[in-house]
Amino acid sequence: MKDWLDREPRTILSDQQVWNDPKQIVALLANFYDRLPAESGLVDVNDNNADGRLFQWRDMANFDDAMWSGQSNEDGRNNITSYNYNSWYLWNYTFIRDLNLALENIATYGVNLTDDQKKQYSAELRFLRAFNYFELVKRMGGVPLITSQLIYDYSGNVANLQQPRAKESEVYDFIGSEVDAIKNDLGNDGSVSRANKYTALALKSRAMLYAASIAKYNSLMAAPISTPGGEVGIPASMANNYYQQSLAASQEIINSGAYTLYRNNPDDGENFFEAVTKKASNKEVIFVKDYLLPTRKHVFSYDNIARGIREDNLGSSSVTPSLNLVESYEYLDGSSGALKIRTADNSDFIYYDHVQDIFANKDARLYGTIIYPGTTFKGLQLSIQAGVMVWNDTRNAYDVVEGSDLGTTYADGKLLTGTSGPHRSIQEVSNTGFYLKKFIDPNDKTSTRGVQSDVWWVWFRLGEIYLNATEAAFELGQTGPALNYINTLRERAGFPANSVTVLTNERIRNERRVELAFEDHRLWDLKRWRIADKVWNGSSSSADAMIYALYPYRVIRSGNAHDGKYVFVKMVAPRFRAPRFFQLGNYYTAIDQSVLNNNPKIIKNPFH
Amino acid sequence: MRYLIIASLLLIISAGCKKDNFEKPASTLSGHVVYDKNALGLRSNGVQVELWQHGYALFSKIPVYVGQDGAFSAILFDGDYKLVLRQGNGPWLDNADSIDVKVSGATNVDITVKPYFIITNATFAKSGTQLTASVSVQQINNNLPLEAVSLYIGNTNIVDQVNSIKSVSVTPDISQNVNIQMTLPADAAYFARIGVKTAGVAEQVYSQVQEVK
Repeated sequence: MKDWLDREPRTILSDQQVWNDPKQIVALLANFYDRLPAESGLVDVNDNNADGRLFQWRDMANFDDAMWSGQSNEDGRNNITSYNYNSWYLWNYTFIRDLNLALENIATYGVNLTDDQKKQYSAELRFLRAFNYFELVKRMGGVPLITSQLIYDYSGNVANLQQPRAKESEVYDFIGSEVDAIKNDLGNDGSVSRANKYTALALKSRAMLYAASIAKYNSLMAAPISTPGGEVGIPASMANNYYQQSLAASQEIINSGAYTLYRNNPDDGENFFEAVTKKASNKEVIFVKDYLLPTRKHVFSYDNIARGIREDNLGSSSVTPSLNLVESYEYLDGSSGALKIRTADNSDFIYYDHVQDIFANKDARLYGTIIYPGTTFKGLQLSIQAGVMVWNDTRNAYDVVEGSDLGTTYADGKLLTGTSGPHRSIQEVSNTGFYLKKFIDPNDKTSTRGVQSDVWWVWFRLGEIYLNATEAAFELGQTGPALNYINTLRERAGFPANSVTVLTNERIRNERRVELAFEDHRLWDLKRWRIADKVWNGSSSSADAMIYALYPYRVIRSGNAHDGKYVFVKMVAPRFRAPRFFQLGNYYTAIDQSVLNNNPKIIKNPFH
Repeated sequence: MRYLIIASLLLIISAGCKKDNFEKPASTLSGHVVYDKNALGLRSNGVQVELWQHGYALFSKIPVYVGQDGAFSAILFDGDYKLVLRQGNGPWLDNADSIDVKVSGATNVDITVKPYFIITNATFAKSGTQLTASVSVQQINNNLPLEAVSLYIGNTNIVDQVNSIKSVSVTPDISQNVNIQMTLPADAAYFARIGVKTAGVAEQVYSQVQEVK
């Protein structure tokens, strides 16, 4: 009768119930995987504080690969006079705490789990924790390394809860050693949405490369950025070891044969698009944040599809690639990617028979990443033309005529301004003349708010691992293997065999830019090479800090051989206002004042 | 009865106004960033000094930007503040000491700094479309090396590395006068300015802006 009053609660699961039931543990893991932060990503979540669900696709428009052409209330992204010192902030210790708590609970309460299950779940939790520490260290520098719950003892003294920042190198070392410790316990073979051995190695490959290049290139700065305690800055002497660790991790993935570069489509351009976007029989992707229609979905395609082929009555065109990025894609003969717009003596335009001819013989990754004039998407032809150039005999020059609206017809009955623009001022139409293709869903009705898209976000894929291996091998003086890795990747993009014979930093850096565009790499790469303050120098006369556009025009000049041909005008994108300005204080994000107030042991980052 | 309700409502509203509304701050703190009693030329919106006030629940800085002529000002409540220079922000040696400021009415405080470099003399001469700047740069302390000396021109009288239409940078020997030449684009009038960049410091020290006709 006494026990009759002791009832199990019907609405609360006890720790014993949760940590002995694999289904509930997996449900919890799903929550944890969902909380891994990314600076861009495909959805619209902004919590960069405790919970850390940071996943803001609009941030793709904040750098030099793209600008904002969507709703004009986000035009601030084109007018960032300087990046705030608290840009790219993350301090998600609630997530770390939840992971530490789960690790401790699984050890304490998981009595009915088999040893293998316990090992695997613990390894996955430790992978997630290492991943998150990588997200923290690449933004903030060394952060407090908390690996167990911090519990207040009600003594009135909180000193033992106030942990100081670890050295930047210690956080990277922690990531490396955690991966080594757990990689053989992870299981999940063949899974792309849960971590397996190669996911962990991919994390190590990237993290060690970051640590190595910070060690090397920070020390090469005229005045290295560092703090006396090493919370920021890694000694140059550690660079070699980090490069070796990165290369070893990359080689273990490449040599395992578990992944192969995607080559299922004989068309190189379509193939590259599918390599990132297509889910079926894709052996290239290593780790993704997956979505699944009809319930797990996002509106990235609604917001970013090209204007002329949008299926909804609103949206489209938000993140539009810049000419800067387009010109980074080389010609297949290995020459520089700068488009041929004017004659060599700059006296006249170069005339093209078709609007797409200017892009002929370009790196196929351009087609796979960006929608440019004259291409099709979803089987639909895109109409991209800014206006017409009408020859004026009296002035002996062209008059530029542009439509006040999209899809307009000129007096000669032919196209004036295309249904996809570009247009100088209308919102939700490209301002640069280009549209995003990577991560846009190619399936029917996926750009509507009703259906939405389930394209996945790619955290790691083999293409990046090849580039990591190239860079690490090159830095270690192993030029032969480095050339082999980069040339294999370029062959997939349509280049002939052995297209690169002389490796330079610039070559490797450009290759990363074009291969990994819009996959959340550009900012972190420029930071770790310590060139962000040079590339984004805040000068409006800079070729890199400004966003450029390319506007195509049809020529009207009756009786002349050029009549009906196409010419192109390069200009600073009309909606783009302020040059990108990355200051020395942006290399490490400012720690929030509330964090400093709560914990006097935390020191500020330099320049703040 | 109705009038009574309206009257009492009016009473509550007017009383509420008194309770909720504070006087706005009226005291002005102003000053210059100086070396050797001369104000330093800076980038507007670039260098920031911080004001902190202890004793209130909200402990957060009041950022004060320094203008391009080295002047700053803030409108504050009377009280005791600490004026702090941001580390590594301006083109001078870091100094972690804060300055105690007692604001009472119009208060003037100059911040004395130790810059890495100063510009002692800058002249601009235009002949045709060619602009020649002549400048003498003096190194004040040897902690950090010189990165570049740059000539900036702009269409307005706010000129710096960000607000410029054209710039030329050189890495000169500063033991003698530095000459920088630039071909001017075709506009009517310009404002020109010299900036000296110290390696490892984001902000430069500038000459005063001068109109070139």
